[in-house]
Amino acid sequence: MARKSKKTLVGWFGALIVTFAISACGSSQPPPEPEPEPEPVAQEEPDDSAAREAEERRRREAEERRRAEAERRRVMEVLAERVHFEFDKSDIRGDAEPVLQRKITVLREYSDIEIRIAGNCDERGSVEYNLALGQRRAEAVRRYMMSYGLAPSRFTTISYGEERPLDTAHSERAWQRNRRADFSVTDAGSLGSSD
Amino acid sequence: MEKPSFIALLAVYLIGFAPAAAGQEAGRDSIPTDVRVGIVYQPGFRPGIVVPAMAAAANLELVADSVRAIIRRDLDQGDRLQVMGVGEDLPLEGPINYQLWDELGAVWLLVGALEGTPDAPILRLSLNDVVFKLLQEVRAFDLPPLRHPEFRMAVHRASDRVVRWATGSMGIAATRIAYSQKTAGGSEIWAVDGDGFGARRLTGDGSIALSPAWSPSGGAIAYMSYLSGDPSIYVYDLATDRSELKIARPGLNMTPTYSIDGTQLLFAATIEGRTELYMYDLIEDCCPQRITFARFSNSLSPSFSPDGKRIAFNSDRLGQLHIFVKELGEGQAMLVTPYIYDRSVHNAGPEWSPSGDRIAFHGRVNGEPQVFTVAPNGSGLRQLTQRGRNEDPSWAPDGRHLVFSSTRSGSTGLWLLDVVSGRIRSLIRSRAVSLPDWSGRLDSQFYSADGEVADSNGQNP
Repeated sequence: MARKSKKTLVGWFGALIVTFAISACGSSQPPPEPEPEPEPVAQEEPDDSAAREAEERRRREAEERRRAEAERRRVMEVLAERVHFEFDKSDIRGDAEPVLQRKITVLREYSDIEIRIAGNCDERGSVEYNLALGQRRAEAVRRYMMSYGLAPSRFTTISYGEERPLDTAHSERAWQRNRRADFSVTDAGSLGSSD
Repeated sequence: MEKPSFIALLAVYLIGFAPAAAGQEAGRDSIPTDVRVGIVYQPGFRPGIVVPAMAAAANLELVADSVRAIIRRDLDQGDRLQVMGVGEDLPLEGPINYQLWDELGAVWLLVGALEGTPDAPILRLSLNDVVFKLLQEVRAFDLPPLRHPEFRMAVHRASDRVVRWATGSMGIAATRIAYSQKTAGGSEIWAVDGDGFGARRLTGDGSIALSPAWSPSGGAIAYMSYLSGDPSIYVYDLATDRSELKIARPGLNMTPTYSIDGTQLLFAATIEGRTELYMYDLIEDCCPQRITFARFSNSLSPSFSPDGKRIAFNSDRLGQLHIFVKELGEGQAMLVTPYIYDRSVHNAGPEWSPSGDRIAFHGRVNGEPQVFTVAPNGSGLRQLTQRGRNEDPSWAPDGRHLVFSSTRSGSTGLWLLDVVSGRIRSLIRSRAVSLPDWSGRLDSQFYSADGEVADSNGQNP
């Protein structure tokens, strides 16, 4: 692979470019590479123009931050995408599978991310039964993820029943939107927090 | 004697039915035409009671007026007596003119007087049997001062005594109803007196608080809250105005209910991704013990039978949501609500009546939840509501009144229904309220309902 040889040639600096390339092309299947941590001290020959080098370093750091932020955003977007359910059901729908598969890919990529799955319902069932139903939905999602080899400990579940509607209208459309699982990252791991 | 009681009946008829006949709002539910089930209300004879103005010294006149207004309202809303507006102007001096009251159609005459001081009023009530021309009962009740927060409840206790003297059954005025009310970002637990006064917020969790359940003594309310982030069971203490975290197993902890003796909490919790019932020992403060064992399905919303030996609960173990009854211990769960093949059945929120003979719940009719009752053996299913969404019924301690949330007036509120007469009245209007729970009879912490007449010079701070 061209990438690999480049890496061996240019060393860690090249790796940086590689990760650029990966994140830029949307990354279908990036090899599990260690995140390069740029060491700010002692790299190239100490030239007379210390100011220029500091400038260069700042630029590189800013670039690195931008890259990390873009990657973070990409991961968060994939993880945050909702899945929806049929009325009074907790089965994973066909249209939810690609959404969950994208999450599984990302969670394999970043093996230290932990997420919370929140089950929600439309307003039609009884308030108390909907709490149980929401829990079942969250658990169904968790089981699906686990069936692809992800560790159970990376998921927590919660149910909000019908208490957190996205759409408060009393229509089929609103109900459809509200029957869902939400995802939040409880531990971003090496991805870090937003700032 | 026959003639006056006929007049009384006529009066009952006219007063009770005239507004409904005139097509006014919210008199009572119409007799349903539903084929499957139907309401069968006995019109019921309500004996007439007269409550004339109460004798009081000038400094107690305000108290006397309040007491009389509260008692008349309580007696009316108890639905066992017909409060009559006759003879308001009749002088009460001297011996009671039973003949006159009898001719006016009264069966009972309640004579009241206020004594003591405004700081420590004493209410003296005597109930006279007009038909048999004798004094039925007399008693003095210590009251807090008029502005005291417990004043109304103390008068409610007196009202409940009057109902007991007259009918043999205790009234339900000295009760409260707890419920969940939506806030901007969640919901809090509230409570209101049985007559709709004194609604106040109890919790301030700033979270989602649901499913309040009174302790048998009325001193505490168990409920579910997301205060800690995860849905857990808390107990709110009314004396200290504090909530305490009780049960926080992983997953859901919800739908708590107290055992009849108040020493245990029965609740639903998550296990292996579904919901089962557990019993929690409040004395030992530990050891949730599993009560239901249904694989791949949920059990929730439990309610004790009055003898404490059985529970009613909600389960989807048959693929539809149904009400089940189960003996505690080894008992099998028995289906109570009818299984209807190939239909979306959604029966929820069971509550066993304090008299033991009925279980109230809500079931879906044409897509809308309606209140039903059924005998614990599954017989005698009755639909009690028709209009709007009617949900989560809870019994009054008399076992004949229900509170439930309803959209019958266009917006959500709490409504009270007398199952015997079918009379319906509004308790809380136009609030996003849900999951009401009717307390048992509330004994005062400061003013005992059984208290003898205290020293009228006593100072109440």
